[in-house]
Amino acid sequence: MATNPMHQFEVYRIGPEIKLGAIDISFTNSSLFMVISSVAILLIFNFGSRKNSLLPSKIQLLTELSYTFVSKMISDTAGSKAKPYFAFIFSLFMFVLFCNMFGMIPYAFTVTSHIIVTFILASFIFVGVTIIGFIKHGLGYLKLFVPSGVPAVLLPLIVVIEIISYLSRPVSLSVRLFANMMAGHTMMKVFGGFVISLGIVGGWLPLSFSVALTGLEILVAFLQAYVFAILTCIYLNDALNLHH
Amino acid sequence: MPKDPFKTRLEIAKSKISKRNLYKDKEPPSSIGTAFKLSTELVSAVAVGTIIGFILDNTFGTKPWLILIFFFVGVVAGIINVFRSAKNMQE
Repeated sequence: MATNPMHQFEVYRIGPEIKLGAIDISFTNSSLFMVISSVAILLIFNFGSRKNSLLPSKIQLLTELSYTFVSKMISDTAGSKAKPYFAFIFSLFMFVLFCNMFGMIPYAFTVTSHIIVTFILASFIFVGVTIIGFIKHGLGYLKLFVPSGVPAVLLPLIVVIEIISYLSRPVSLSVRLFANMMAGHTMMKVFGGFVISLGIVGGWLPLSFSVALTGLEILVAFLQAYVFAILTCIYLNDALNLHH
Repeated sequence: MPKDPFKTRLEIAKSKISKRNLYKDKEPPSSIGTAFKLSTELVSAVAVGTIIGFILDNTFGTKPWLILIFFFVGVVAGIINVFRSAKNMQE
């Protein structure tokens, strides 16, 4: 009895149906896992930063390590000017990381395996970074679309290409995270199905694959959260330090 | 005056960590991640170009010309995207 590998991505309603006009804003399993991740982040970082002893406890160590990790990532990619945006990038990284990691628990729902979730995250980043760019540089930010040293004949074409390339940022950012999570989880489910259907005789090979894939998926879950955050830093860097 | 034993231990640990980080920085990023990053850069630009062409076609009623033009512009933008991120990786 093999189940549908895509069944795990189904969103269903928990509790009563809530409608806001024509929009369905009911509480779903997706929202539940977003709430769980946010609460877990809040709890861990509250407990971790409550007592600042010189010899840190494990939870304090975790908090401090993640702080230095993100702060180093920001200063390496976006420079010191990006320090004010630390809180945003830190929460973004932690949210994506926790959503990915909670997805690794059996029977849990992976929030980031839905493109609408990752696309909304990416569009907020995109809009925010664009607004920051216009605030910092005024209309000079439009220079981003006009590379220097281009002959005037080619300029209209180049500007269109640059605008498309700029607009493709949120798409590539969201598709990367969503595709990685979804592909990995589908693959794990397919191999799990093989174990059941091949039984005790032939099931050992897919089982070992499943074990290896679980390790790989945990790596991917971390790596994709890292890539998501680091690309946000890179886009922020483009907005803060205009150079072309 | 003899140093505080805890402080010496802290310093030793710190120097060990900084040594370890030196090696860490040289480690190349995973190649599968790189490959995936480059491919999404290419595909997303093509998709965005095509969508823009589709929308403009519908507003101006010039089917199918703008979608064709913007598809190819999207391809060019995608190639430029890939080129740029590959350049960034080399640095």
